[in-house]
Amino acid sequence: MGSNYQTSEFRNGLKVLVDGNPYVMTYFQFVKPGKGTAFTRTKLKNLITGNVIERTYRTGESLEAADCEDRNMQYLYHDGEQYQFMDLETFEQLGMAPDMMDGGESFLTEELQVMITMFNSRPVGMTLPNFVEDTIDYTEPGVRGNTAQGATKPATLTCGATVQVPLFIEQGEAIRVDTRTKSYVGRVKE
Amino acid sequence: MPAPSALRARAAVVRALREWLWGMGFIEIEAPALVRSAALEEHLEALAVDSGAPERWLHTSPEFAMKRVLAAGLPRVFSLGPCFRGEERGPHHAAEFTMIEWYRVGCDYRGIMDDLVALLGAAAAAAGRSLPEVEHLTVAEAYRRHSGRSADADPIEAARTWVNDVELKLTAPTIVRDYPASEAAFAAIRGDVAERFELYWEGVELANAFTELLDPSELAERWSKNNLARVAEGRAPHPVDHRLIEAVGRHPRCGGIALGVDRLVMVLLGVDDIRDVRVGG
Repeated sequence: MGSNYQTSEFRNGLKVLVDGNPYVMTYFQFVKPGKGTAFTRTKLKNLITGNVIERTYRTGESLEAADCEDRNMQYLYHDGEQYQFMDLETFEQLGMAPDMMDGGESFLTEELQVMITMFNSRPVGMTLPNFVEDTIDYTEPGVRGNTAQGATKPATLTCGATVQVPLFIEQGEAIRVDTRTKSYVGRVKE
Repeated sequence: MPAPSALRARAAVVRALREWLWGMGFIEIEAPALVRSAALEEHLEALAVDSGAPERWLHTSPEFAMKRVLAAGLPRVFSLGPCFRGEERGPHHAAEFTMIEWYRVGCDYRGIMDDLVALLGAAAAAAGRSLPEVEHLTVAEAYRRHSGRSADADPIEAARTWVNDVELKLTAPTIVRDYPASEAAFAAIRGDVAERFELYWEGVELANAFTELLDPSELAERWSKNNLARVAEGRAPHPVDHRLIEAVGRHPRCGGIALGVDRLVMVLLGVDDIRDVRVGG
């Protein structure tokens, strides 16, 4: 407890305490107005409520680290209300409501390994692997002869997520998706 | 890696900057990047180069060399190339970035404002855009208009207000002039303000300009004051460049400006990360 982050250590993903509540840093911008001292402008997302606040810190000021713990877990099933995971070290089971998952739940497939962030023994966030692979459950057939650069269409994956894919991708194909940007990366090679 | 379209647009902008300056009779100077004195300002960190004694740094701007060139008798000069700064991080900063500086003899910062507006027009055209009307405000007016009150007497609180309530509202291209005399850097003082201006666009600081200081003893005094403040904070003092002090006493009356090329390209292309407009090292 009690460790602090200096402004020079600010980075996206940092977990900090503001007024006793846990936040994750989602943006930071170094600014040096005039010829004077430097400031870092930040955006912080409340890990529990999801509210985003903006705060500015002068160089030399610091933020208290939030005592968060990241744990490797495996997705088991959805019980109708919560998503159930198993801790891969302790084999404990843990349920998490989708409002803590930032839309990431649509990428969950059975046995997928994810990182669950715990604060005061409560799950407050889920981090997916950067890339997941899944097959396309439904997409409109590609229009033959359409060679427009960069044109895309929506495709629904078996896991339930919808991503934009190039027109040449067909239903039933397996694709690789970047979960951070929710964007198509490429075909999965057989 | 930036998109090929961004690299093409950047090259077009850089070419337009050079061509505009050449067209106006400015001579391009290759300022040395490896220097024995790299900064004057209290809050500016140079990167040291480990080349043994004597110690050398990478320049934070070409300003010192450019003033020696002015003193040597060239009336209109520019430099376009990499500069280096430590301790500045985030989407609008890179340790190595590209800066263009130009100096014009026989004018004050108003002459440089005219150059800047014309140059911005040429850069915007090269990026396929037109330049919106450039606004002019004093620092005091910017505080009153955007924060609803005058700048705090305490410089740190004033700076905090600037960061939180003023800067991001400068979305139109805006020339903000007349800084407090305590933030003069290389600027000449008129009454209680420094003849200094900055350019903001889309809430991003793009350029800084001065009516250049001509008084060598005043420069030496500012340098020593900044170094005393640095030492008090446990930072190393910036070595004083005596050739520069001597040059400031000899070069004619002039104005000068430094413009961040990466940030100009960012604003012209509507992107918010410097890594989307320059190839990283």
